[in-house]
Amino acid sequence: MSWHGDRSSRSSDTAIEFRNVSRRFTLRHEQRSSFQDWFIGLLRPRGRAEEFWALRDITFSVRRGEAIGILGRNGAGKSTLLKLLTRVLEPTSGEIITHGQIHAMLELGAGFHPELSGRDNVFLNGSLYGFSRKQMDERFDEIVSFAGLERFINTPVKHFSSGMFMRLGFAIAVHMDPEILVIDEVLAVGDSAFQRKGYEALQRLKAGGSTIVFVSHNAEQVRSFCERSVLLVGGKMLDIGPTDEVVDHYNRMLQEEVVDASILRVRAIDDEATVIDRLESGRDLGIEVLLRLPGERHTTALFVALDLYDRQGLHLFGRTSELPDSLPLIDGAGPDTRRIRASLRGLPLAEGPVTIAVTLQRSAGPGVDTVDRQETTVEIDPVGMTGNRGMLRLDNHWDWEAPPDLADDPSSNIRLSRWTTR
Amino acid sequence: MASQAIEAIRYRALIRNLVTKDLKVRYKNSALGFLWSLLNPLLMMVVFTFVFTKVLNQNIEKFPVFVLVALLPWNWAAASITLGCSALIDNRSLITKVYFPRVLLPISVVCSTMVNFILSLPALFLIMVVFHVAFTPWILYIPVIVLVQAIFLTALVMFLAPLNVYFRDTLVLVEVGLTAWFFLTPIFYPIEAVAPNLTAWMYRINPMAAIVAEYRTILYHGGVPDPLFMARTGATAVVMLVLSYFFFNRLNRNIGEQL
Repeated sequence: MSWHGDRSSRSSDTAIEFRNVSRRFTLRHEQRSSFQDWFIGLLRPRGRAEEFWALRDITFSVRRGEAIGILGRNGAGKSTLLKLLTRVLEPTSGEIITHGQIHAMLELGAGFHPELSGRDNVFLNGSLYGFSRKQMDERFDEIVSFAGLERFINTPVKHFSSGMFMRLGFAIAVHMDPEILVIDEVLAVGDSAFQRKGYEALQRLKAGGSTIVFVSHNAEQVRSFCERSVLLVGGKMLDIGPTDEVVDHYNRMLQEEVVDASILRVRAIDDEATVIDRLESGRDLGIEVLLRLPGERHTTALFVALDLYDRQGLHLFGRTSELPDSLPLIDGAGPDTRRIRASLRGLPLAEGPVTIAVTLQRSAGPGVDTVDRQETTVEIDPVGMTGNRGMLRLDNHWDWEAPPDLADDPSSNIRLSRWTTR
Repeated sequence: MASQAIEAIRYRALIRNLVTKDLKVRYKNSALGFLWSLLNPLLMMVVFTFVFTKVLNQNIEKFPVFVLVALLPWNWAAASITLGCSALIDNRSLITKVYFPRVLLPISVVCSTMVNFILSLPALFLIMVVFHVAFTPWILYIPVIVLVQAIFLTALVMFLAPLNVYFRDTLVLVEVGLTAWFFLTPIFYPIEAVAPNLTAWMYRINPMAAIVAEYRTILYHGGVPDPLFMARTGATAVVMLVLSYFFFNRLNRNIGEQL
């Protein structure tokens, strides 16, 4: 196992070469991270270590000036591949050869120190990539104006908004003349104007001969940017070729994989998991969903959306969450049946029917790639709502200050007297 | 090995920036912040002086200078060991996102605490003036001792920082160890007076004792340093540095995964 880097070699036509690269992780159920654990471990036989190959036998090469996309769902090995490429991790076996300075945008602003000003952070960040003070001096003004932070550059970055933070990180990265730029889904930075600027900056780098490795599970971004792509599934390289073909392959794969998933049942439940069709206003509302998901693990991202509507169809609430890769089977139910539960604490509705809609979908966006959808309705009883109007249940009371003479008199019934102004 | 050295040179701006970052964060960009950091050793000096000259009636001449000349290098050692121990863990977010020679993290801790030590020397000189301790030309020998101490501390920190990644309670043990080490190092007592027949051994097994004694020889006693004495300690430090460097590189390979 080895890693070779040769910074100076501009002569070679190959920028990145992976040769039979594999990476294994050891999942220890009892991680020994203190001396105490270690001594206990000496006395007791070691817990079985589980091995897990995040990447298996990956071979490909990238030419200089080429943009390559890495596609795959969560857990396919994309992040491991990037960490190997950027030398954060070493391969278990195989060889990685790179020609040229690598700059990674894995997490924008990763090296920023909150107490330091934007200016100090630019220099610190530059030196993390091996840039001298002089080299950073030459680029400083451009970086600041690209990020649009002229007014704030001497402010400690802890006062920056997350957008400003990421804009500065992005601006540094594109001004370091990286020979190889590794990007992990960071194009969604800032407003649309900044996104366009960022996209153009990347195109300029590409035209200037930088090699770009672009990782995303958004196939369309990859399509617009990369000539060639790699498709990773379960740590193995399933496909490599022109991006259009690989993206089609990826999309086909996603569709085939989840065709079987469905929602069997959606029910409203109370605190004791009893099925209900009425709920007192202000109590916790639980939602139990039975899903049919064939197989041990599903290899495509699945999302579940929970939405509440009132009787007129007004959207009261909505949230989409990603399902874990594996859910346990439930005993005594049909084959491939799994159960998930949601709970809404102290539902703040006064009365009336509420429609609960559960949607199983392939992507996180609202109402896209729907696999299945079911609804149920719960009637809210207006308990304890006497004297209130409207659809929401809100804690409410008035405060006022009584004049001292009245307030001191416990027998006085006169409470509302005058508002004091401060 | 050679390629790693070249790489470290390429990253020299990083050491500099890490050191300035440490200092700026510690002093929050203020001169007053730096003055506060001088207050600690000076107050310690006052406390030790009170306890040993008034309470215990020790008869050591110009005790404040005697103790401060040892306390400052000790504080440098203690600070770089505690901060260096967690240098890798504290920079977890950096290590798992960016590649750079990680060995620079513990090195930069030793450097920034060294800058702090050097900046505190004028306070020592001031106390020397106040107590009429004579300056000799051997004051120019200080950089040699500083270099030996820096090598020794780098060796220790390079060993402890990766160890702390694998065993998170290293730092707890180190803190206890530092307290013991403080008392075993002749900081507030002259070793010759306490254990005359153990003196030579003490210098051999405790490099900090030798280093502290040497600062004291040239500054407090105004004596002439024995070049062989520092050469021996320096050689020990260099051997330790080489061993720690290999140890660091050995553990470094899996640190990205362990953090």
